[in-house]
Parts: sequence; C-alpha cells; structure tokens
Amino acid sequence: MKSIIIGGGKIGSNLLKTLKGRGYNVTLIEKDENVCRKIANDLDADIICGDGSDLAVLNDAGINNADIIAAVTGKDEENLVICQIAKMEFQINKSIARVNYPKNISMFKALGVNQTVCSTEVIANLIEYEFDSDICKIVQTFDRGAMILVEVSVDEKSRWLNCFIRDLELPGESVIAAVLRNGKIIYPRGDTQILKNDNVNLITNQATFLKIKEYMQNGGVSYAKQKK
Amino acid sequence: MYIIIIGCGRLGSMLAEDLSDAGYNISIVDREAKNLDTLGSGFNGLRIKGIEFDNDVLLEAGIKHADYIISATSDDNINITVALIAQKIFKVPRIIARINNPKKKPVYDGLGIETINPTELSVYILKSRIEETLK
Repeated sequence: MKSIIIGGGKIGSNLLKTLKGRGYNVTLIEKDENVCRKIANDLDADIICGDGSDLAVLNDAGINNADIIAAVTGKDEENLVICQIAKMEFQINKSIARVNYPKNISMFKALGVNQTVCSTEVIANLIEYEFDSDICKIVQTFDRGAMILVEVSVDEKSRWLNCFIRDLELPGESVIAAVLRNGKIIYPRGDTQILKNDNVNLITNQATFLKIKEYMQNGGVSYAKQKK
Repeated sequence: MYIIIIGCGRLGSMLAEDLSDAGYNISIVDREAKNLDTLGSGFNGLRIKGIEFDNDVLLEAGIKHADYIISATSDDNINITVALIAQKIFKVPRIIARINNPKKKPVYDGLGIETINPTELSVYILKSRIEETLK
C-alpha cells in the first residue's frame, strides 16, 4: 500500500517511522530543508523537500498511485487544501487531515473532509479521562491488598447503565457484592437492574481491577469517541 | 453593496481604502493588528482582527450578507480555504481570490474559485511596455 505523509513535525515523522516499520511504501513531504535532513539521518525513507500543497510536488511523491494521504502539517489551511487537492485532482477518497484547532473540525466536515484527527482534542480528552477515572475507585483493601473492594459509579455514559447484573461481562476473579442506591443497600441478584447514579461494589483483586477499569473506560481513546 | 476583504497587506489595504472612498461598505479581516493599523483614520469600514478562516471571525465580518468576498492574503492556502468556506458554507454570491504562486492556479481552477493573478498581470503589462518601446 502506497501512502504519502505531508508534514514532518512530531506527528509526521513518527507516523513515517510506524508505517515504515509495518512495511508500507511511504513518502514524506516536508517544506523545511533542515527538518528533512534530520529525518533522513534517522530513517531510510523517501523524503521530498517541498510544498505539499503544490501539484508538482505531489506528483513527484507519486500521488497517482497513492492509496492514502495524511496531511499532518501544523497549519489547518494547508491540511485542508491538500485534502481538497487529493480528492479533486487525484480522486483519492482516503485522505486524513490533522486539525490543529478543534474549532475547525466542523469547517473541515462542512467542506467534505470527513476523516480528521485533532491531536489537541485527543490530548484534552485523555486528560479529562484521567480526571474521570475516579468512577472506579478502591474503597477498601483486605489481606494486605490481595482482595479489594471497588466502587464503580454509574453515570449516564457508563457501559453498565440499565444493564441487568446477569448480563454484565465480568472477569472471572470478581463478584458484585452490593449496589448502593439512594443510600440504600441492594443485595444484587441476576435480575437486579443497574440504574443511573448507582454505586456498584465489587470484590476483586488488583490485577482484575485494572482490567475492569480499562473495560469501563476503554483506555480513554475510544472513550472520547463514545462521547460524541 | 457589502464587501469583505480578507488580508490587510499591500493589496488588501489599498483596495479597502479605495472601495471605502468610493462609498462601498467594507469590512476587512487580518490576523495582525499592525496590518489593520496601516489603514489610517480615513478608513470608515469595519476592521476585524482574527484568524482569516475562523467561523466566528467571518460571521463577525458579516459573511452572511456579504455581496462580495475578496481573499487577498499573501498565503495561497488561506485564500483557498476562505474561498471554499465562502462558496460552500455561506454561499457568498461572488468570490475572488488572489493567486500568489502562479503554480497554484490549477488548484484554484479545479475548485471553481475565480481568481486574480497579480504576478501574471505585472508580467503582461511589463512585457507589453517593453514591446511598445521596440516598435
């Protein structure tokens, strides 16, 4: 698969390394000669020094045979124009644009560039997720940490919202001990339904706790997607 | 007639002053305050400082009821982006963009953007003057 990356900054150069490592045929286009040299010293890859929004440069990079274009420069207007060129001149439908300012995402969508990645937003969401991670917390440890009591808060975004206990996919080494609802304890059975604002208490161990935490939040990235 | 000019460089500022003197309603956008200051006190149009293709900035400039938008920055990608936004999102009746690098002309043409090419015009005029003296 032939792909072209435009922009040799942190994202572009790392993307080049990753795709190269997976055995893809990749060409990188970067404006700054010094940056090109630096990347060329690190990696044995096709690097073109030039303006990625110039048709001649894109032709040199072999855009006619390219399957994917990734426009990841630090300028939103440049990324937009590159994706427009790829679509209009070369009929490439798989072009991905980096959006630097989250505010511009809707503009990209309105102009027909559907595949966008906004690093700023992704990072903001990851940080938000770190703040949110107290939806799973350890309430009590027993036997020097071998067994722990975990409380999972169920909000409107929770995977467990409105699920029945019998339907929950729980890891083997865990059991739901109690559900707290409006200060009352519910002794859960299979037909107990989990509602919003419930606190679900589980007995488990440290390793399984991490798995549950990851399952509840999907590692942040897909959590961000889920939110939309 | 309501005209928005994007970019307050040499071309943008002179055009703005000229059109404003001729009695048109003008708003001009540039990301640099010092560029907008070059207009002087005689200019009675609206000056807006902000990113040229930012939705809120364009709305503030009155893009919804603009009759004309002229994208005259010295960056082709900004001119194309503004022209596309005006064309596809706000459906401005007439859009003219300035070409800086003549090599980029096919891109403007392909996207259906009406253009003015100052470099080409200068070349044409210079050439015809030279030819005139040879006659």
